[in-house]
Amino acid sequence: MDKYIEMIRIRFLMMLAYRTNYYTGILIYSINIGAYYFLWKAIYGGKETIEGLSVLQMTTYVAVAWMARAFYFNNIDREMAMEIKEGKVAVELIRPYNYLTMKTMQGLGEGIFRLFFFSVPGMLIVSLIFPIRFSADIYTWALFSVSIVLSFLINTQINLLTGMTTFFLFNNTGLIRAKRVIIDLFSGLLLPLSFFSQGIQEVFKFLPFQGISYVPSMIFTNGFSFSETMQAIMLQGMWVLILIVPIQALWILAKKMLVIQGG
Amino acid sequence: MFYLQMLAQYIGQYLKTRLQYRSDLVVELVSDLLFQGVNLIFIIVVFGHTDFLNGWSRDEIIFIYGFFLVPFALFSSFFNIWDFNERYIVKGELDRILTRPIHSLFQIVLERMELESLFGAITGFVVMAYAGARLGLSINWYDPILFLIFVIGGVLVYAGVFILIACISFWADARTSIMPMMYNIGNYGRYPVDIYNTVIRFVLTWILPFAFVGVYPAAFFLRREEWYVYSFLTPVIGVVFFAISVFVWNEGVKRYRGAGN
Amino acid sequence: MKNAIEVHGLRKEFKSYSSRSGLKGAFRDLFSRNYKVLRAVNDISFSVKQGEMVGYIGENGAGKSTTIKMLTGILTPSSGDVVVNGMNPHKEREAFVQTIGVVFGQRSQLWWDIAVQESFRLLKKVYKVSDEEYDRHMGHVIRTLDIEPLLDKPVRKLSLGQRMRCELAAALIHNPPLLFLDEPTIGLDVLVKLKIRDFLKEINEKYNTTILLTTHDLTDIEALCDRVVMLDEGNIIYDGALKNLKETWGEGKEVQFQFLERVELSALEKVTQELHVKWELEEKEQHFTAYTTDEANAVSDLIGAVISSFQIKDVKIMEVSTEEIIRKIYEKGEV
Repeated sequence: MDKYIEMIRIRFLMMLAYRTNYYTGILIYSINIGAYYFLWKAIYGGKETIEGLSVLQMTTYVAVAWMARAFYFNNIDREMAMEIKEGKVAVELIRPYNYLTMKTMQGLGEGIFRLFFFSVPGMLIVSLIFPIRFSADIYTWALFSVSIVLSFLINTQINLLTGMTTFFLFNNTGLIRAKRVIIDLFSGLLLPLSFFSQGIQEVFKFLPFQGISYVPSMIFTNGFSFSETMQAIMLQGMWVLILIVPIQALWILAKKMLVIQGG
Repeated sequence: MFYLQMLAQYIGQYLKTRLQYRSDLVVELVSDLLFQGVNLIFIIVVFGHTDFLNGWSRDEIIFIYGFFLVPFALFSSFFNIWDFNERYIVKGELDRILTRPIHSLFQIVLERMELESLFGAITGFVVMAYAGARLGLSINWYDPILFLIFVIGGVLVYAGVFILIACISFWADARTSIMPMMYNIGNYGRYPVDIYNTVIRFVLTWILPFAFVGVYPAAFFLRREEWYVYSFLTPVIGVVFFAISVFVWNEGVKRYRGAGN
Repeated sequence: MKNAIEVHGLRKEFKSYSSRSGLKGAFRDLFSRNYKVLRAVNDISFSVKQGEMVGYIGENGAGKSTTIKMLTGILTPSSGDVVVNGMNPHKEREAFVQTIGVVFGQRSQLWWDIAVQESFRLLKKVYKVSDEEYDRHMGHVIRTLDIEPLLDKPVRKLSLGQRMRCELAAALIHNPPLLFLDEPTIGLDVLVKLKIRDFLKEINEKYNTTILLTTHDLTDIEALCDRVVMLDEGNIIYDGALKNLKETWGEGKEVQFQFLERVELSALEKVTQELHVKWELEEKEQHFTAYTTDEANAVSDLIGAVISSFQIKDVKIMEVSTEEIIRKIYEKGEV
């Protein structure tokens, strides 16, 4: 376990080293959220609520969705693709750890860094400029925390899956990009899934994506009732378990390929 | 002239390598379409809940998006410099570039071409045709000419901003995750800027002038006369930003430290 | 005749950050940083005549590649004058690079995915070489380097040796009067090395091409260069003929012994204490090496003394190698 924690620490330090990134990052996230805020205000026009969400809830939703994204988002699929193409994966395999766990930990290190140095100060700045309502309820915060950890896991698992396709496809940059676009829309980052028509929402229920952004954001904005919240978190947990199956299957296949082709 | 010849040479080479991996090409085109689709879906879903966006109708917003796709497609085909830092600075590929008798930025443009992105322009035309037909827009004899000028202006704006960001690598050791975020900000120029407050409007007009790639030039074809001044500023802003970025680039190259230092 | 390279008071400084250790240090780095100015090249001056082949040597970090990069226009000098082929490399970069060829051993100039000849064709256009010029000149290059059969293969499928030969050919497409080679033989086997050396000698004779070569492999330099420029910590510590270096530093003889019985180093030192001898022991093979002076009877005295006390299995008298000389110079830090 020690080595995995060390990995988190190293990633954390790596992120700290790039400070230009850090300053501009906060600025750009704020502009991002700001632009969305006005976009939504214009969309609401004079309306009180759309699909049960008030303007205030909506802006909070957008802000929190972007800030949570800073935590769960990572590029490990791209990194994996690069490592596999350059043949570094073979070296990783002879090291005494599990490659996939290590990648997850690297993602977590990045995520924790961004959570504390990006999301929290960013959220403070944004809440000074725009009206955003934070819940005073400790349970909301607790449930939100559980939920974003699960978001991280689901998103990372999907990244591992796309990353591993590099073993089987010659070039998967297109696939990685497509995945990113789909997640942005289907996870509820761009707009709450309740805005979609009923039929499409039914389809979403059978996909893991809403566990990435929609669920934690709705919990944070108190857009869910208590029973809905519990159900949503359970669903997230279920997806984490389900996704283990294809990951392990692909991993076993990939290792076989590595043995045969020598990387 | 020589530069045009080189462009032709590189395009030839590019097509040869690209056609070797045809399945790749298909995946890429599909993912491009998906990307364009997602933004359309966003607009359509939102207008399922409202009729006007600060006085702009659904079809007008869709038209602006369609216009935006054309300069954006050209930009993505020729200015793939989002990974400039990793590819050219960290790996030292710029060393090689600098030992060749062609302007360094132009070489990078040539090497990093991704012509399949041009298909985005076709999507753009289809979207504009759809929205234009529903709006009953007329076409005058000068419209195609102005369209071309505005599109080039938009490409230069995009290129200028992204070249400037790439230049950061010459001064700071930043691994820029700024790039992908900048793509997000670029998207806001697609909405009527009068929905934003003055600060964001100012930023999108004068600092990161993405409004000149979407709403300002498109407003001309939507015959929104109150925006005409901005529409005609498009090529000016484009040239100014591009010129600044090339100047900064040239300065940056002088400060290039080489790889492995 | 005009000099191909003229360097005067050339200096390059790099500003570098040193990061503080640990998590706490990293936080402090976020707000303020420690800067350090490193002088990679320290006011060096030298010139190279047209047609010369010069070896540019030095340990890692001595400032070799930094100098080469300034000479090729990649880096801008902090101060000093550089005139190469009558031009200022970084100021007139695009016109200037037309007159040089560059090979970086560790970095490919060719396009990875396309066939070698496609790369050549592209470079031919880049350097504005006419068809007939190309045919005349490159036909010869391709034959001599024996890369005809490789031309239709993509670069990624070539072996290192094959690739290097193609790289060399690619650097010569515009038949430049000056050629920079940075570690051109790194990782290559002996046969390829020999082929490349012969080729370089040939173009030097045929076109009077100036060649500046950096390498770790001193046999390259011995085979090719009459002159070496030696760099240490950014300063030139030697600039002159390789022969002179050998004469001044190659003094002394080296005699290697192997014994039938087990012998202690101290015992050897004891029997030869009257003579000026330094002993060294190579543990694994039990080779004892004696370094002695150039005096007429030094070697016979030494062997006589050793033979009279120990049973000898083998004796070898050796000349001091260039490598040895260089090592000695670096140990001392000056010439």
